[in-house]
Amino acid sequence: MFSLPRTFCRRSLPSSSSSSSSSTTTTTLTHASSSLRLYSTPKAGSSTIKLVAELRKRTEVSITKAKEALTASNNDIDAALDWLQKDLVASGAKKALKLEGRATKQGVVAVAMLSNGTSASASLPSGKAVGGGVRAAMIELNCETDFVARNSLFARLAADIAHTAAFLGDDVRSDSFFRPWTLDTLYEAPLISAPEGPGALPGMGSPDVTVRSSIQDALVKLGEKIQLRRATAVVENSLMAKQPDLNLRMTAYMHGAEGNPTQGRIGALALLALKSPRLKQLLPEESFQKELGKLERSLARQIVGMETRSVKDEAGGETALYNQPFIMYPGELGQSTVRDALTKWSENQGLMPEDEDDTGGVEVLQFARWTVGEGLEEEAQAQAEQV
Amino acid sequence: MIHNLLSCQAVGRALSASKSSLVHSSRASLWKQSAAASFARRGYAEVFKRDKPHMNIGTIGHVDHGKTTLTAAITKVLADAGGAKFTDYSQIDRAPEEKARGITINSSHVEYETSTRHYGHIDCPGHADYIKNMITGAAQMDGAIIVVSATDGQMPQTREHLLLARQVGIKRLVVFINKVDQISDPEMLELVDMEIRDLLSTYSFDGENTPIVMGSALAALEARDPEIGKNKILELVQACDDWLELPARDLEKPFLLAIEDVFSISGRGTVATGRVERGVALKGAEVEIIGLGSTLKTTVTGIEMFHKELDRAEAGDNMGCLLRGVRREQLRRGQVIVAPGSIKAVKKVLAQIYVLTKDEGGRYHPFTSNYRPQMFLRTADITVALTFPPDADGKIDEERMVMPGDNVEMVAELVHDVAAEIGSRFTLREGGKTIGTGIITKIIENA
Repeated sequence: MFSLPRTFCRRSLPSSSSSSSSSTTTTTLTHASSSLRLYSTPKAGSSTIKLVAELRKRTEVSITKAKEALTASNNDIDAALDWLQKDLVASGAKKALKLEGRATKQGVVAVAMLSNGTSASASLPSGKAVGGGVRAAMIELNCETDFVARNSLFARLAADIAHTAAFLGDDVRSDSFFRPWTLDTLYEAPLISAPEGPGALPGMGSPDVTVRSSIQDALVKLGEKIQLRRATAVVENSLMAKQPDLNLRMTAYMHGAEGNPTQGRIGALALLALKSPRLKQLLPEESFQKELGKLERSLARQIVGMETRSVKDEAGGETALYNQPFIMYPGELGQSTVRDALTKWSENQGLMPEDEDDTGGVEVLQFARWTVGEGLEEEAQAQAEQV
Repeated sequence: MIHNLLSCQAVGRALSASKSSLVHSSRASLWKQSAAASFARRGYAEVFKRDKPHMNIGTIGHVDHGKTTLTAAITKVLADAGGAKFTDYSQIDRAPEEKARGITINSSHVEYETSTRHYGHIDCPGHADYIKNMITGAAQMDGAIIVVSATDGQMPQTREHLLLARQVGIKRLVVFINKVDQISDPEMLELVDMEIRDLLSTYSFDGENTPIVMGSALAALEARDPEIGKNKILELVQACDDWLELPARDLEKPFLLAIEDVFSISGRGTVATGRVERGVALKGAEVEIIGLGSTLKTTVTGIEMFHKELDRAEAGDNMGCLLRGVRREQLRRGQVIVAPGSIKAVKKVLAQIYVLTKDEGGRYHPFTSNYRPQMFLRTADITVALTFPPDADGKIDEERMVMPGDNVEMVAELVHDVAAEIGSRFTLREGGKTIGTGIITKIIENA
């Protein structure tokens, strides 16, 4: 029953010829001529199959769903695409309901860094950096197996949601720089896709495409429960204007996904502050930017690499960043604690003011460190510190 | 005399023994299962018959495509033929919290026999879990059954399933298209067949010749519709027998003995002791001694076990080996005695490494490039420098770090050369504790 002749569908693929099926030899022979004819005068059923294949290539929907879409739209592929789009809401909700109650322990932590505190200046030669605002977000998106977590469709979804969370993050005054998104709000937000490559513009789909609908879309295609677990954003634009000797910086490190620096199994997003009367001169300097980049990357790695729960802890535990040996900083400073290394680094880079009444240096203000699947109650604390 | 010496080396042997127990643990757990099952009934363990070649096989597929149902169906159908003990769905999904949802997280072993082979079967839980199991030797797949539901067809993550199979060195697969009773249009099944063949070829499997069996695991399990149930399961099992290649058995491989200790016995000469890892050596055989800077050729002039002279030593034997014209100083623990030309000494390899977590007794902190632990490979103990391989663009990220719990591919440069090949397992230790375990995936530089 199931060893029917492989008609023109198989012929369209160069790789598929004879198979292990015993009946193939005979059927191929008998149908060799008829399958040629099929190109010009396709049977109704066969052309549907061809369209099903086409639709699946374009959308990755299941074979049953593709067939359903084509049947409902008289084998018109564009109409079928529309039908799928409309059907998404209903079938997505239905599928979500079916998967309700399943555990989602896998997934990724994804970060979107729209501005890390550097912005190109209009008054200086191009390429020179000056202080700017910060805008970044981190999300955790969960699924059931790590096969799905490693899939490009899922990675793209996580990147888009992180980008949306950063793009739409509000610059509101509160006592914490890290402002957690209310998940219901983010679910209903329009999806603002991350730019496809450097220099590309962020994509704003139709207003109908929300974070929720894009999750449902992926859920239908991947057949696993997908859940947005948490999201936080850091947005600060106004501080620099008020205090020219201060520059807020963002740094992030995502661990565990090869070839994708913005996603991983464990991730940290950290907010730093540079303060110095000489900041305006230092920031545009290339050598300073290079050293700053090295420090920032090391700090983010340090937070992820060690079990870091707070910035400072007077009791002296190693879960406090400042008390840890700075093992992730290459070179001599790596021998001392993070606290001492930051002081020395500030001295070496000339951030320390000559006038003793002034203050200066580099500080880690606050961070979030997330591990995929960890209990929310264990969520890494972020400790605020007054500048 | 050699026997006495051997018994004094229990500690030394623990290393190689623990390695081999890792390698064979999948088989060992089968032992335990069947032993435990029959204990209640008969009061003693059933004897594991070794008359059929053994093969480890696994099912990989989407959570809802019926991997567990298929596994249960195979045991049911083969149980009717006397080749298995029926293992039902709930027994396969052993982890209690997983039972309710019918998803397998922990891999559980099932065994069955066909007319020509004995299979150990695992359900592959996830990518990271499986890689970890493979590196540590806890679970192993020599071949795999990819399960795809006919209602969905292959899914985006089917690519990841094939990538895993590739990564762990599986060369041949069998595909089972499940739930065919839910699809009325045979042309749709043709499409599923065509798509999967195309995808198999994309991931360098033999898409053209890979057997694809279409059936319903549930029908087989419920003993209805034999034309899509039982018969298709038998067809699938037959396809596994015919298509999946048996791994070489230890006895059939070229001789290898890892030297544990060396003695000088007056009047006779130099004796090396150790356990035969694989192959067979006859008295008078030509052998090579490899590793730690030397390559010697000599002849086995005597084999001794339990105070007795033997003509033949084979895989699993602990033996003393009298070697012609070799001085005691020329031999050291860590070298291997092998069939000439069967293995080479390596200086630099690519390895897949699992780094133990703190809870598993491993490191607390991450490490970076150029980390230098001790590598224990068979009886050898060598300092090794670990660095990162270049990425797709040929760049090496010098700031990259490895955290406890990571599966990572690294370049291992050995201070002294040692006999090793692709698939050789090793452990990494630092300050007296095991911090990682690994498997060699590529030889970069021979000694």
